[in-house]
Amino acid sequence: MSEHHITPLKTYLIIAASLLFLSGVTVWVSYIDLGSFNIVLAMFVATVKASLVAFFFMHLLWDDKKNLTMFLMSLMFFGIFVTITMLDTGFRGDLGLNPETKDPINKRAAFYDTLPLTDTHGHPVDEHHEDKDHH
Amino acid sequence: MGHHNPDSPTHLKHYFHDVNQQYETSKFAMWAFILTEVLTFAGLFVAYIVYRSWYPDMFVDAHKLLDVNKGLMNTIVLITSSLTMALAIWAIQKNNKKLSVVMLVATFIFALVFLGIKYLEYTHKFEVGQLPGEFYSYMGPDAAHLNNPHIFFSIYFIMTGLHGLHVAIGMGLIAWLIYSTQKGNLTSEYYTPMEMIGIFWHLVDLIWIYLFPLFYLIG
Repeated sequence: MSEHHITPLKTYLIIAASLLFLSGVTVWVSYIDLGSFNIVLAMFVATVKASLVAFFFMHLLWDDKKNLTMFLMSLMFFGIFVTITMLDTGFRGDLGLNPETKDPINKRAAFYDTLPLTDTHGHPVDEHHEDKDHH
Repeated sequence: MGHHNPDSPTHLKHYFHDVNQQYETSKFAMWAFILTEVLTFAGLFVAYIVYRSWYPDMFVDAHKLLDVNKGLMNTIVLITSSLTMALAIWAIQKNNKKLSVVMLVATFIFALVFLGIKYLEYTHKFEVGQLPGEFYSYMGPDAAHLNNPHIFFSIYFIMTGLHGLHVAIGMGLIAWLIYSTQKGNLTSEYYTPMEMIGIFWHLVDLIWIYLFPLFYLIG
C-alpha cells in the first residue's frame, strides 16, 4: 500500500522527547503555587501533549480529515456534557439544596464512626438538625 | 470487484472495492470506537469535575496521599511505550519484521511495568485503607482533617482502574500482534491490525496524560 504516509523516524523521536520534556515541566510547575492558575496551566500542558499524541502518533495530521472530525466531535460532546451538568451541580447551593452539606454522603464510610460529620469546609454538621429546612 | 480475482491480495475482503477503501473503512471504524471510548471516560471526567468543584480543598489535600514519583514513572513508561508502538508500525511499513517484533515486545514489557507500578500503588492503598466509598478507613495524621476523602479515592480507583483495564486489554492485543507479525501475517503490504491497535494504545497514553496531572499534581 504505497499510498500510506510513512512518518520519518526523526519525527517520532522528536515528539517522544517533547512529551517527556512536557511531563517534566508539568511536574515542576505543580510545585509552584500559582493559585487557581495551576490547574489551568496543567490542563494546557496536558492538551499540548494530547495534541502531539493525536496528530503525530495517531497520524491524524496525515489522515483523511473525517477521522479528525470524529475525534473532535467526541470532545465537543464531552464539552456539552460538562457544561450542562455544571449548570445543575454548580448552582444547587443557591437554592439551599447543597446535597453535601444537607446530607453528607459519607455516613457509611468506616472512618466516620469515629469522626464528626462536616460540611465542605470542614465545619461540624449536626446530624439531627440537618433536615430542619427540608422542603 | 472481483470475488475471485487472482490479482487481488488475499487480505482484501470481497465486499470492498480495493485495499485502500478497506483500509480507510477500518480506520474510520476505529475512530468511531475511539469516540465511544472518549465518551466512556467523559462520564468519569464529569464526575471528577463535579466533585472537585464541590470539595476543592479535600481534593488538594487527598491527592497528597498519592505518590507523585510513581505517577511520573508511569507517565514516562507509557510515553515510551507509545513511542515503541509507533516505531513497530514504522518498522513494518519498512518491511523490517524483526525490528517490528522487537518494538512490540518492548511495548508489551512497558505495559507490564506500568501495571506493576500500579499494583504497588494499589496494594499500598489497600493496606492503609485508602479505599473507595464505605471501605475507606485510613486515619493517618495527614488525613485526619480531610472531609470526604473517600470520594477522591472512589474517583481515583474507578478512573485509574478503568484505564488499567485498558492497559491490560492492550497487552492482550499487542501479544496477538507479536504472534501475527512473527508468523508473517502482517507485512508492509498489510498491517492494518497493527495500526488500529496502535491507535488504541495511543488513546490509552492520551487518557493517562490527563489522569496524571488531575490526580497526582493538583495545586
